[in-house]
Amino acid sequence: MSRNCLVVDLDKCIGCHACEVACKNENGIALGEYWNRVLQIGPHGTFPDLEQYWLPVQCQQCEDAPCVHVCPTGASYRDADGKVLVDKEKCIGCKYCMMACPYGVRSWNAKEKAVEKCTLCGQLTSAGQEPACVAACCANARFYGDLDDPNSDVSKAVAAADPASLHTLHDAGNKPLTRYILSDKIATWHDVDAIKPASDAQDAAWFAKEA
Amino acid sequence: MEIQWSLVLFTALTGMGGCMFACVAVDEFLGRAKAAAFPAAVAALAIAIVGGLASVTHLSHPDRIMGALSHPTSGIFTEALLVGCLCVCVVVYLVLFKREAGAGARKAVAVIGAVFGVLLSFMAGESYLMEARPNWCSQLLPLGYLLTAVPEGIAAYLVVVAAKAKGADVAPYGRALLVGGVLAAVGAAAYVLWAGPADGVQWALLVVAVLGAGVVPAACGALLGKKPESLMAMAGGSLACAFVGAVSYRCIMWLITVPIANLFLNVL
Repeated sequence: MSRNCLVVDLDKCIGCHACEVACKNENGIALGEYWNRVLQIGPHGTFPDLEQYWLPVQCQQCEDAPCVHVCPTGASYRDADGKVLVDKEKCIGCKYCMMACPYGVRSWNAKEKAVEKCTLCGQLTSAGQEPACVAACCANARFYGDLDDPNSDVSKAVAAADPASLHTLHDAGNKPLTRYILSDKIATWHDVDAIKPASDAQDAAWFAKEA
Repeated sequence: MEIQWSLVLFTALTGMGGCMFACVAVDEFLGRAKAAAFPAAVAALAIAIVGGLASVTHLSHPDRIMGALSHPTSGIFTEALLVGCLCVCVVVYLVLFKREAGAGARKAVAVIGAVFGVLLSFMAGESYLMEARPNWCSQLLPLGYLLTAVPEGIAAYLVVVAAKAKGADVAPYGRALLVGGVLAAVGAAAYVLWAGPADGVQWALLVVAVLGAGVVPAACGALLGKKPESLMAMAGGSLACAFVGAVSYRCIMWLITVPIANLFLNVL
């Protein structure tokens, strides 16, 4: 089974949010809902020694996906290509998958009353194109492909990176596939659970405030 | 996270119904309040059905609920299965009772139903054990679900006994309510203190849970032996307090949870 995912080079990411906008345009995502979101991490440190980076987040295509385990109807499933997807026609709206996602990167479609999330733009990749976020990235910081294919863009990006610069979001046993490249010369990697967690309803400013 | 009232009522009511039927099963062996067996089983069935229906109200597409049969490893499937098995057992028990079937068959069905009923309370809490939510991820959580349901069930059973089996010797059930109340108080406090209340509301709910699900039923259970004539007042008061306590415990669970991360910051 393939291990299709995104790799994001945070050394290159400039936080322009183009991937976020391209995702919303391509997939028709409503205002206030996201499949991909760019977060500001920092600034950290003490002036003048400050550092900050941008963290685009979306479904991490976990190898041991908790959303798939808890879904009572099989609406959250893994397809033949190994991608974790949502069949909205089967979703009963129990939101257990949203509770079980360690990163909160599933979205509630208020109009269709169903859960949805990043599909890795299957409608594009099945036609040989790149996901919209990858194609729109002006810094060439996003890559798509199969981690098991050494000739894929993601495998090349990972191979070219210093192993010390390779990161994943906090692994709670779910084995996230998405890789982030961030070297110490740009900023120190902050795991999402190392940043003081906020309540679900709190605004996004806590990402910036935590040092 | 916001309190999910549908799920709070689902687990509090099905737990009550399951443990209430467990009391019916126990009395099949003790034979202290035979006149209460049929109405108590009917009440347990009604409470379990109302609880089951409460869970459906939080779904945005209940029309697709039959799809749950396609994924038998999920927690929701397990809960639905146990509610269904409990209800089937209660119905079979009622039929056996009405047809005056042999005591052996009735006892067997009652015991099986009681196992489903008690297991249901535990498994309802077990469904919430997720690595993504560290302060849900302890066996203390489902244990608290079970222990706070026990006084509910005993008190509800005693209300029926008070109404339909006047003069019954309820001393064993008084002792059970005492022990159940103490365990419920300890169970509720153990989980919540482990999870770490974050604000005054959660501490206040913990006090309500300990007093309601534990202390009041335990005190009533202790007094029942001395004042059997006050059975209805004691049982009714215990039932009301145990229900409020069980609801409080479940509300704390929703308020206390902190996910590993909520990067889209959705409000569920």
